[in-house]
Amino acid sequence: MNDPVRLQLVPLGASFQVERGTPLQEALFAYGVEFPCGGRGRCKGCRVKLLAGGIDPSPEEEKLLGAGETAQGWRLACRARAESDLTLEIAQWEATILADETVFEFEPGEGLGLAVDLGTTTLVAQLLDLKTGCVLGMRTALNPQARHGADVMSRVQFAAIENRQPVLEELIRKEIGGLAKKILESAKVEGAAVRDIVIVGNTVMHHLFCGVDIEPLSRYPFEPERDGMMEFSASRLGWNLPGDPSVRFLPCLGGFVGSDILAGILATRLDACDSLSMLIDLGTNGEIVLGNRDGLLCASAAAGPAFEGARISRGMRAATGAIASVSSAGRGLEMHVLGNAAPRGICGSGLVDAAAAGLDLGLILPSGRLANGAREWMLRPPVSLTQTDIRELQLAKGAIAAGIKLLLKERGASAEEVERVYLAGAFGNYINRTSARRIGLLDFPEEKIRPAGNTALLGAKLALFQLNRGPGDYRGILEMTRHVPLASSEEFQETFIESMGF
Amino acid sequence: MPRYSQLYDAILKGDLKTAVSTTQEALAKGADPENLVAESMVPAMDEVGRRFEANEYFVPELMIAARAMKGALEILRPLLTQKGAKPTGRIVIGTVKGDLHDIGKNLVASMLEGGGFEVIDLGINVSPQQFVEAVKRTNAEMVGLSALLTTTMPSMRTIVQAFKDAGLRDRVKIMIGGAPITQEYANEIGADAFGENARTAVTLARQLMGVC
Repeated sequence: MNDPVRLQLVPLGASFQVERGTPLQEALFAYGVEFPCGGRGRCKGCRVKLLAGGIDPSPEEEKLLGAGETAQGWRLACRARAESDLTLEIAQWEATILADETVFEFEPGEGLGLAVDLGTTTLVAQLLDLKTGCVLGMRTALNPQARHGADVMSRVQFAAIENRQPVLEELIRKEIGGLAKKILESAKVEGAAVRDIVIVGNTVMHHLFCGVDIEPLSRYPFEPERDGMMEFSASRLGWNLPGDPSVRFLPCLGGFVGSDILAGILATRLDACDSLSMLIDLGTNGEIVLGNRDGLLCASAAAGPAFEGARISRGMRAATGAIASVSSAGRGLEMHVLGNAAPRGICGSGLVDAAAAGLDLGLILPSGRLANGAREWMLRPPVSLTQTDIRELQLAKGAIAAGIKLLLKERGASAEEVERVYLAGAFGNYINRTSARRIGLLDFPEEKIRPAGNTALLGAKLALFQLNRGPGDYRGILEMTRHVPLASSEEFQETFIESMGF
Repeated sequence: MPRYSQLYDAILKGDLKTAVSTTQEALAKGADPENLVAESMVPAMDEVGRRFEANEYFVPELMIAARAMKGALEILRPLLTQKGAKPTGRIVIGTVKGDLHDIGKNLVASMLEGGGFEVIDLGINVSPQQFVEAVKRTNAEMVGLSALLTTTMPSMRTIVQAFKDAGLRDRVKIMIGGAPITQEYANEIGADAFGENARTAVTLARQLMGVC
């Protein structure tokens, strides 16, 4: 690079160099910034705020953003170029792939470690200095397997029924290997040895990464046959990394509940608490853990993709233009649209809020029916909620609520005895707790519910420090956790149906 | 307007207690059990199915309606047997091998029962052999297969084949359904019908039996 300038992106924490004069659209697109109008300077969706460095506003930006906003440092990424070192806040990253910046206790080790949260949809990796515990670099990416199916069951189908498991394995191994390489390059730690790599993910991700035959997960009783810890050398995975680190995929807890939840327990210390706590990850496959130091129960409940905005007529993920929150104010509605753009859809948190507001306003009946036989409820044009959308939400929240009830029953405890409910994952950060209670998704007092961020990544980082010193805590957790298969329980079916109403 | 409107209303509302008590009252007053089924129960479940299809009713409402219907049917069934009344048809139903989802299958079974069919429910994770044996044992004219996962729907093809192998394919009509199932898939595997929801399942079953 002849004449580089450095860009820093907030809140992602990415830092990288580009050639002076590079269009920001080009530089930021690689980091997942979206350009809703295609970069034509029409929609304001790609707004960035200058925190350091200078970009002169163009006349177009003055016109679209107004003099007030440009004076505050707001610019349109699609109109600007990197003429100097810049620190930029990305407006649409109000909701983004969730990293982890939790400060944690650790015993210092040697060298570098890489923690990877391998999600069905997204990947997050952080490079750590095992001596200081500092995060030296991080990267996020979309799981490249997603092109062969959005949810775990469609991946299982692709792999087991269509006999394409090697395709998925190669895709994910290549992606994570590339990610590791890029992090090391940009962290400027040339030559420093990476000691360990820890990967966590659900059971399907475990099998698809490790090359364990996925067929047992495709049929009744959906019990994995080999879901323990898997260890590889980086070179065996085709990764050329300094120090040829060992790569460990942490063990699954049972059924579809994988090491991302094991890591979540490690991060929230559910296993060390006296009082009863829960850890809930609200995804397509909702995972629930209940217990304390005397023992833990875990289960997964297929909630379907409603919380991720799929199968909802105007559903979308939490990105620019998504209605992310709704509240009833007097007779009207107040809404927050991500990226302060024009609304173009609704994401999971908005959906939960909208249902709660609809119930409060009497526009949605406790049965889930829209009042007066309406077919849809216009929130803000063009975004409306249809009767079918509400039915999808009922299925999703019914499955989670039923899972919670059955685990409590299995434990012989009441909901009141639960002292704390940790919500893992991005959705847990954005969901409104009052609304979640109002629709019967999480029937706990607000003050007991605590968004816990990316507990999978934090737990993976904690594991990095424990791997080489005797039995890590995760082994103890593995022993004290029992998986409860819900889907085959007749009681689950009944409780599920009972939990569909509001 | 159904003749025993109280029973009709009770089923529609999912009021089990009233469904049972009005059935007993009607019988005490000399009502014909076959008429109760034909003029109250069947039209009530038809209406429940219509509302479900129109998204007015959801799974919980359909389930409680079915529960009320079954309460009434339990009283009526011995009387119907005594009289030698014939069901509209006899159908063996189950969730295919590898799959454990039974809510959808239960809804279809209830709707069929409410539609005057005799239903032999084999439950979940049912092997091709179990389906074949149940048909031999009961002389059922129809088979209903349910699968909720793309990974388990291939079992349906195996079951159709098992009926061919057993020499029974000409004797039974095979109807399939479930979230990933389509008409194309039904054609592909040689099933006789695809029911998109619990209501169409009843309509199709009647058509297959040649009763309407």
